Amino acid sequence: MARYAMVTDLRKCVACQACTVACNAEWDVPAGYARTRVRTTPITGTFPHLASSIYVAQCNQCDRPPCVEACPSGATSQHDNGIVGVDKSLCIGCGFCLEACPYDARYINPATKKVDKCDFCVSRLERGAEPACVITCTAHAKYFGDLEDRQSDVFKMVYAHGARRLETSTIRVGPNVYYAGEHASTDLVLAAFPPRPPRLLAAGQAWSRVLRPLVLAAAGATFLGQAVAFFNQLRNGEKDFED
Amino acid sequence: MPPLEGYPVMDNNVSRRQFLGTIAAAGAGTAAAATVANAQSHPPGWSGTQRVEKIATTCEMCFWRCGVLASVADGKVIRLEGNPDHPLTKGRLCARGNAGTRLLYDPDRLKYPLLRTGKRGDGQFKRISWNEALDFLTSKLKALAAEHGPESVAFFPHGLSARFFSTLMKAYGTPNSAEPSFAQCRGPREVGYTLTFGRELGSPEPLDLEESKLIVLIGSHLGENVFTSQITAFATALSRGAKVIAVDPRFSTAASKADWWLPIRPGTDIALLLAWMHVLIGEDLCDKEYIARYAQGFKELEAHVREFTPEWAAAITELPAAQIRETARAMGTAKPAVLVHPGRHVTWYGDDTQRARAMAILTALLGSWGRKGGIFLPTPIPRGAFELPDFPESPRGRADGAGTRFPLASEELGVTNGLVDATVTAQPYPIKAWIVYGQNVLESIPEPQKTRKAIEALDLMVVVDVLPVEQINYADLVLPEATYLERYDSPSIVTTAKQPFVSVRQPACEPLYESKPGWWIAREMAKRMGLEAWFPWHTPEEHLAQIIAPMEISVEELRNRGALAFPGRPYLDDQASDAESPVRTGSGKIELYSQELKDLGADPLPRYTPVEDPPTGYFRLIYGRSPVHSFARTQNNEALNALMPDNEVWLSTRSAKDLGLRDGERVTLENTDGVKSLPVRVKVTEGIRRDCVYLVHGFGQGSKSLHLAFRRGASDNALMTHVKVDPLMGGTGMRGTFVRPVKDPTAH
Repeated sequence: MARYAMVTDLRKCVACQACTVACNAEWDVPAGYARTRVRTTPITGTFPHLASSIYVAQCNQCDRPPCVEACPSGATSQHDNGIVGVDKSLCIGCGFCLEACPYDARYINPATKKVDKCDFCVSRLERGAEPACVITCTAHAKYFGDLEDRQSDVFKMVYAHGARRLETSTIRVGPNVYYAGEHASTDLVLAAFPPRPPRLLAAGQAWSRVLRPLVLAAAGATFLGQAVAFFNQLRNGEKDFED
Repeated sequence: MPPLEGYPVMDNNVSRRQFLGTIAAAGAGTAAAATVANAQSHPPGWSGTQRVEKIATTCEMCFWRCGVLASVADGKVIRLEGNPDHPLTKGRLCARGNAGTRLLYDPDRLKYPLLRTGKRGDGQFKRISWNEALDFLTSKLKALAAEHGPESVAFFPHGLSARFFSTLMKAYGTPNSAEPSFAQCRGPREVGYTLTFGRELGSPEPLDLEESKLIVLIGSHLGENVFTSQITAFATALSRGAKVIAVDPRFSTAASKADWWLPIRPGTDIALLLAWMHVLIGEDLCDKEYIARYAQGFKELEAHVREFTPEWAAAITELPAAQIRETARAMGTAKPAVLVHPGRHVTWYGDDTQRARAMAILTALLGSWGRKGGIFLPTPIPRGAFELPDFPESPRGRADGAGTRFPLASEELGVTNGLVDATVTAQPYPIKAWIVYGQNVLESIPEPQKTRKAIEALDLMVVVDVLPVEQINYADLVLPEATYLERYDSPSIVTTAKQPFVSVRQPACEPLYESKPGWWIAREMAKRMGLEAWFPWHTPEEHLAQIIAPMEISVEELRNRGALAFPGRPYLDDQASDAESPVRTGSGKIELYSQELKDLGADPLPRYTPVEDPPTGYFRLIYGRSPVHSFARTQNNEALNALMPDNEVWLSTRSAKDLGLRDGERVTLENTDGVKSLPVRVKVTEGIRRDCVYLVHGFGQGSKSLHLAFRRGASDNALMTHVKVDPLMGGTGMRGTFVRPVKDPTAH
């Protein structure tokens, strides 16, 4: 089975954001939201000895995805090829997965009230096309492929050229998005945009055992609306408690 | 229109059931379930049953002319992608190119011809028909010709679509046409390189970035300034280990990737360039064989730069002498594969032709003009033409000073600010009407106060545009042009690519509302004006066929593929046996020393002229671009506006501390004439020198009709009330503006 991965070469990337706009167009992402975003790290150092790096953020399709664990409805699941997908017909828009994601890679689409995120353009892959961000990248800085394939660009970049993933000593969920370039660059990215500890809402976990079969049974029915309302309430309640 | 062949199965005529069947067969388990859900929403606007056609055309979200494929379903453009067959951009498309459908479907677009009903500047219009609009314009133009002569009409075109109207204006009898691409942009560069090599660079500029071993950027902020193929080539060079020298007062994206960042004191680039030449010549690091073969004036240059030591330049540029020496030596080592990037918008200080000359001379010393990794040579393509009557000669000549007041200005591109001056002063003769076609004269020409004054003095102002930018408020007549996705334009012929090519712009869908393509507007006007002789074709396809006739390609093939390339001969070695010398100066040699400049009373060798320092409390205003915006054209594009709705002003940490300003605080910028900008956020950063502030250009727009862009951010152009004009070619020096940030009293 394939193990899909993406590599962004930070030496080549110039932060042009073609990937963001192409992705938004491909997936009809509402203005103000994105499945992939380009950021630059704050400039560090003292004039004129300065450094900064570019960071291209997206879902990391983690090997041990906290979002899957957090999802009470079973909408978020991991495919055999490693890609983490969101089945929109099962999503209840509760947002627990947003809390769980260490990389802030998810958003709730305000029009559909469903969670959305990068899935490596899985439907494009199925018709033999590369992800939208990869084919448009003006710098040819994005590589997509199968880590099981020793001939693939991603294999070479990860195993021969030392592309890194964004992990810390405590947060190691096995991301499949890698960053090539000087280590100084990835260090800057890690310092500026560190993965945060996944927040798994305890109440959500308990309820999920009850709710998951119910949601599956009721998907598409009016019960869904009630479930959404219920869970939003639950989530807000949890937030109030934290505050 | 036939679709392209060889595209993925879904893009052809496949029913949704078949498509989903394919997926179900390919997928397994949970994966299949999830992908079916995804497929339903893909691509946007595709309900799953319509036929999706792909139309290959040419992008116009900026002027680079990248290849684009438009997916069209039920007459609606649902997605744009790069055209993999395009010889220059090879399937890549930048942020703006990907956002093109948002221009097409922008609800703020100009929809109908409009006739002014209120006071000029008030923006009161009534909708009229095209017949009324064109009859109105015809009668006005005829009356102006009879009363003041056709030269009293000035034309401000931009882009491929304006070419048809340019023909109309020439046939009408006015020589007064000017584009900002010259006197506000690359004019000094074209003049400086032509003086040196006898040939201009052109656009897209022929830079062999991908083969370069050392890239020297002087103010060029590649990355923030995005032209797709140039970024591809730059990134390729970086991945191949090319070194970068970034000369910029600001820590740009390119500077962050550079091996050497030289935060130069603004306006002192010529001093740095002279010191680099001093080291290259003094340490015998030039390409002597190349210079002996192709150049003349080396001895004069050698004597000229002897005094310009790195220590001399260090005092002026505020860069360490050791760094100047080290970077010069790096060039000497990497030569000839050194790309001294000539820049693009280079109208900075009013002596810009001389800076361009210095860069051209440096290029020649390194032997990199016409060589791999340097600047390559254009390869011509035969171009067909119609037999047209001669255009009427104007006995009064041009009003913009091209060829007279500005002896080296291009008569093809003209001097916009020269036309503004002529309108204000009525010298050398009165200008009574402006036709502004695809240009934004208030945002592109500095001293907009003067531009407004000129407009107020006009008898007639006509604007042809896609969007209701601020200048339409001053127009008597507004004509809505179709966007690039709805029209044919004159084909684009690019000789400055390693493989020269021709590309087509053709409609992906019908023009929306009552917008019309430029070819139609020009042709209809020609019929009314009795100038049909200059338009001996009936359809744009017929026009296209005639232009490409000598290329031995078919219209159908070009329309199917979008662009077709021809073999290139980009290097001097390729052209060695040609009868004509690749160097096209009068002497046939690269002119390090310019007798032509000497004869004009200018410095035959570039010389550093001190620039004015900002007064106490003020900062030099520098400006640049964002990768998600094209000048002031894209701020109302929903997809791009979402990524960058406004700009911020960069201010150094130390200056911010001195002024008591915090990051994110809102200020207005006030120039030395008391002109104030709209409020803008402060970005406090180490990444800029203490003596300047930086804005991204194109914000702070004044048109209420642009709902997303109106009054968002600050306009750099509005603050440019003093410009120093290049006496050689009329370019407006736009980096002589001094501003101070003032806390915005309306901020909370």
